[in-house]
Amino acid sequence: MSNESLIADLSSDLTPVQRRSMLREGGLVLALGAAELMLFLSLGAMRPDMSHMAGSPFLMWRVGSLGLLAAIACVLAIRSFSPTAQPRRGLMLACALAVAAIVGGVFVTPDGASERALLDRIDPASGIMCATSIFVLSLPIVALLGALMRRAAPTQPRLSALASGIAAGACGAFVFAFCCPFNDPLYVVVWYTTGCAAVTAVARWCLPRRFRL
Amino acid sequence: MVAAQDGHGGAYRRLLGEMSEWLTRYFQRRLPPGDVDDAVQETLLAVHRRRHTYDPQYPLGPWLAAIAKNKWIDQLRSLARRPMDELPDDMAVGDHEASVVSSSVLASLLDELRPAQAQAILLVKLQGYSIEDASGQTGLSPSAVKMNIHRGLARLTAIIEKIHDVE
Repeated sequence: MSNESLIADLSSDLTPVQRRSMLREGGLVLALGAAELMLFLSLGAMRPDMSHMAGSPFLMWRVGSLGLLAAIACVLAIRSFSPTAQPRRGLMLACALAVAAIVGGVFVTPDGASERALLDRIDPASGIMCATSIFVLSLPIVALLGALMRRAAPTQPRLSALASGIAAGACGAFVFAFCCPFNDPLYVVVWYTTGCAAVTAVARWCLPRRFRL
Repeated sequence: MVAAQDGHGGAYRRLLGEMSEWLTRYFQRRLPPGDVDDAVQETLLAVHRRRHTYDPQYPLGPWLAAIAKNKWIDQLRSLARRPMDELPDDMAVGDHEASVVSSSVLASLLDELRPAQAQAILLVKLQGYSIEDASGQTGLSPSAVKMNIHRGLARLTAIIEKIHDVE
């Protein structure tokens, strides 16, 4: 088929299309995240001492840094779905923010925590449950970002998938942060990072599959 | 493009015609001549499928160039996957690619590769030599030539993905 006949085919019976809107996509992700948080809290999953802990530096660090990371990562992921975007810079920014949040945890470690044994602080039995919960909570956001990505035109789909995984993992961790009863930053860093990394790996593996512009 | 998004077929036809000319020039500098038409048509199809993603607030050129670059990388990947068996001698049409190396951007990018990889790609993929001929010229075994082509093209696509644009 010549270029001319292809052009004739494509331009005949042309139907109007609805333009992609990043604002609309961001609104969808926000709505899904908010719905998930509301559903999760309405099931009675919020930690029982939330009113007592609400003003503590540790909880402010945990919820604040995860909320900020989730918001910025979602914006970066949605921006990366545009053909002209450069997802590499966004990923670097998200990683830098995650590292800054982890470093910030050093300053909110409760007194006496550093004197406990490492295994006692990490508590693998509970940690695996936390990481699994974050993974499950992230899946709806991964699915939504994946659908948005496939409808858009990411020219570097693997990087966009990575960005989507980080965003979904941060959203899942943010929702879970309201119910997790552990108050040790080391525990949070180890198991929340594990949960987010698992989601990111799944997103990186699944979202770009069979994707073509 | 805005008119095309609103369903104006005539404007879209003119736009695709202009895009087709630009894309032909773009790919002639980046791909072996036999792959240019395929790349142009693949890009036009991608433009058609993804026309809703163009934002009129921004210029059209970078949007089209980003899609074209993606298709360029796809073509390089398909070049790497293509079988490298020698053409039979009794084939009706002779190889015309050997005499034409117009993919100047691609040729200049070969400088970024290891010399053995660059030479194997230049001989087999751009100048049309068979694996055996390239093996004779480079002194490497045929399987080493194939491996150099495969790894070189993979490295080349990784380089192109990282850089913003290549001229």
